Amino acid sequence: MSINEAKTTLLLYRPGTADAEDPQIAAALALAKSDPELAHWLEDHCARQEALRVKFRQITVPAGLKEQIISEQAVLRRRIYWRPRIALGAVAAVALLAFLAAFWRSYPPGDDTLAIYQNQMVRIALSGYGMDLATDDHTKIRSYLAQNRAPADYVLPTALQKAAVTGCAIEGWQAVKVSMICFRTGRPLPPNQSSDLWLFVVDRASLKDAPENSQPRFAVVKGLATVAWSQGDKVYLLGTEADEATIRKFL
Amino acid sequence: MADNVDFESLVAQYYEPLYQFAFSLARDEPEACDLTQQTFCIWASKGHQLRDASKVKTWLFTTLHREFLGIRRKQTRFPQVELEQAAPELPVVSPAAISRHDTAQVLAELARLDEVYQAPVSLFYLQDCSYNEIAEILQVPLGTIKSRLSRGIRRLQELLADKPGGPHEKQTTL
Repeated sequence: MSINEAKTTLLLYRPGTADAEDPQIAAALALAKSDPELAHWLEDHCARQEALRVKFRQITVPAGLKEQIISEQAVLRRRIYWRPRIALGAVAAVALLAFLAAFWRSYPPGDDTLAIYQNQMVRIALSGYGMDLATDDHTKIRSYLAQNRAPADYVLPTALQKAAVTGCAIEGWQAVKVSMICFRTGRPLPPNQSSDLWLFVVDRASLKDAPENSQPRFAVVKGLATVAWSQGDKVYLLGTEADEATIRKFL
Repeated sequence: MADNVDFESLVAQYYEPLYQFAFSLARDEPEACDLTQQTFCIWASKGHQLRDASKVKTWLFTTLHREFLGIRRKQTRFPQVELEQAAPELPVVSPAAISRHDTAQVLAELARLDEVYQAPVSLFYLQDCSYNEIAEILQVPLGTIKSRLSRGIRRLQELLADKPGGPHEKQTTL
């Protein structure tokens, strides 16, 4: 094996791994022990490899990803469990009732955690929703929500009060209604999009692990920056397509 | 049988390396999250078909890579690119120069490599996967993987050497 051949072989060598067990690499390493030039090159090479490994391993995993994967899977499992039962109830009236029940009660008891709530609300924000009322008037929004028995006595953070409101919708969670109030951050939006900041308000009792106080809890859910907090008997979840720094401006 | 594998334990063990692999390929946090989540979703529905529980890691990485390629193929049609012969002598960047680059820059240079080199090089540096494991994950013969790794690593170092502050760092050649 020539020195150049040894270098080519050692290009794949990572110190501290099982690479040294590869016969070709073992032979090249042995050659390096007897050749000072190759030994010097190998030393540099190992430092390069380590520097690159460090760079790759500096990729940080977003907070909450593990919990998100597990909670999503729990929801999916329950849906799969229920699918054959619904198929058995093929009678149209039963199916209709099941659909109506599912509309307001998407998840069976036990799924009333903040993580699942966050996921469901974020999915609504991301997957497209129809605004029940399009208006820039907060009073009209509160009135509409109150008429439809959705949370209307919410308290907006001072900064959020100044954001441009675009309307509202009423969503469902664990058989209770969720008020969804749509805002704009002020960033340019695509032509078909009217909002990029959404506030979800739900009764605190509907979440078994609701935030204990008004201390904001930040999390990235499905790429959406979110913050959750409790105030009074309500839980607030604010989400945006922008980053966490943006969302902080509205608290 | 792999269906005895506890889902939460599996997620806890592999979500970080899978996300890092996904991010090194996609360079986009939401896409990397989706790829990671989708991989476990596929495991939940098909993982029971895996007979050898020792292959779980390989299975997960293979699945994530397939999902990534599937998404990319939908987004654009890649032209078929012939593997170029590795130049006999290529510049090698110094360790200090590599350290001056941040992770985003290194990944940006990785993305400039031909597609066939990106996943092998990423697995090589990220996971300490053996050559056999990389070949198994990417479902490519071992000899081909070694060849791709060799060319991919040379090319990546060449690109890093060409970055600002790089050329004068070229200190040696193979």
